[in-house]
Amino acid sequence: MQLSKKNKGRVGATLCLITANLFTATGLQAQDIVDGTNNPSAPDSAESLNVYDQPASTPGTTTIDSAVLFYKEDGGRIQAIEPMVSLTHNTENDSVFSAKLTFDSLTGATPNGAAPWKSSQTFISPTKQANGDDENEGRTGASGGTIVIDPITGQRTLEYTADAFMLPLDSGFVDQRTALDLGFTTPLTSGTKLSLGLNGSHERDYNSFSGRASIAQNFNNKTTTLSLGVNYEHDVSKPFFGTPTPFSVMSGDQKGPSRNKNVLSLIAGVTQVMTRNWLLQFNYSYGSVTGYQTDPYKILSVVDPATGAPQSYLYESRPEKRTRHAFYAGSKLALGSYVTELSARYYHDSWGINSITANMSEHIPIGDLMYIEPGVRYYHQSGADFFTYYLPSNVALPLYASADSRLDSFNAITLSLSGGYMINDQIELYAMVDAYRQSKAGQKDTLPGNNQDLKLYAGTNALSMMTGVKVKF
Amino acid sequence: MKKTIMTFGLFGLTILLGGCATVQPWERDVTARQSMQLNKNANFTSAHEHIYFSKEASAGGRSFDGGGCGCN
Repeated sequence: MQLSKKNKGRVGATLCLITANLFTATGLQAQDIVDGTNNPSAPDSAESLNVYDQPASTPGTTTIDSAVLFYKEDGGRIQAIEPMVSLTHNTENDSVFSAKLTFDSLTGATPNGAAPWKSSQTFISPTKQANGDDENEGRTGASGGTIVIDPITGQRTLEYTADAFMLPLDSGFVDQRTALDLGFTTPLTSGTKLSLGLNGSHERDYNSFSGRASIAQNFNNKTTTLSLGVNYEHDVSKPFFGTPTPFSVMSGDQKGPSRNKNVLSLIAGVTQVMTRNWLLQFNYSYGSVTGYQTDPYKILSVVDPATGAPQSYLYESRPEKRTRHAFYAGSKLALGSYVTELSARYYHDSWGINSITANMSEHIPIGDLMYIEPGVRYYHQSGADFFTYYLPSNVALPLYASADSRLDSFNAITLSLSGGYMINDQIELYAMVDAYRQSKAGQKDTLPGNNQDLKLYAGTNALSMMTGVKVKF
Repeated sequence: MKKTIMTFGLFGLTILLGGCATVQPWERDVTARQSMQLNKNANFTSAHEHIYFSKEASAGGRSFDGGGCGCN
């Protein structure tokens, strides 16, 4: 992992804050033991007036929670509108039933994986053959594509052009996604809870189904909770033009059949009440992914090894196995009605990607009925072993290669501000705004030849906003 | 990898042992607050996880590591 001076500073600052928080928390622990011994009947909440200091658990209630997420990337790239609504019922005996429906609508442009070049480049849109009705299924030509008819075969393909010096973007990206999640949690015996859930989502070119089960057991006077969970997911990828053969040349031909992917996930965690006002959580999660994990729409440029000029475009190729490991540590510390939340995650997978994530936020009470919560998140990942910006034409093809920017090495910073306002005992309004900025980590590669002015890194910046209302009755 | 697991495990165990059995049942008022819940606003959490899953290669840690989307 390589960090620039600038990023070392960011990481250093984050680590300092985490350390400061832990020292503060440790000091408070000692103080609380004294307080608890001397005067156990003097709860902190008696001094606290803010409504978010009220207990979270409310047996015998039903909550309807609805929200809309707006997401927009810079430069005319992906934008999404995502309305969601959930219904949660807490029974008198501590069981919880929940259902959540989410709808995603996405449009915009997404990098197709090809490298930029000094003159314009033409690509084939991954649509079905552009003949009549099919033209508008999934990918459209409305954003400037041109239908080309082969004079010999009569095959119709939709082509689009990337301007000279610009990162090639497929601007015809259109998709909708509908997801439904059902959950049920019930106490089994004193101190043991069982949770079950089902999830399904449908996109025009992708379906996903999953089932989960987890069990949580309290120990030590309910100060320690151990939890263990399993989730199994089955996904079906059914691209508009079929699944391309890895490293086959970009074409408008109808390609292979739908392909499947299975994900087995396990999570084990412990949550510990450290003091009266300090919680800690540690988790380990394991994921085993098998099956089709290639992005059927992503291509790679094959370039002249001397000049960098594109010679052809091939569909990418990824391994069909991936094993993931993630370690998570989180802390919540209350000081009066203020709450500091810190978390860190280390991630490693068999594709060679390592990442660290650090998160910090502060819950700040405003008056009696409101809170705001500024937060910052830092993320760094190394690139996948098979990530590359291009393939030189004089080198034999590797087993796997992808130019997907999600597999590149990069840093990301998120600045966020969220908040809530309780209109009365039953209705809460809440909102969130996030600014997300990715930047290349490590050495910036260039094309062969004198092409330093062509930027290969395809990271993005995005702004997201959410607003919602929660009604309890 | 083994070294990392051991480091995390030992660090976690040390902290847990140091904190066990100091909080009595009548002292749960603060940790029971809405503001102290680990998933205070489920929609904020799910929005973040969905966005990060679609833009980054990592997953899991806080919850299961599936994705449930094509996210192209």
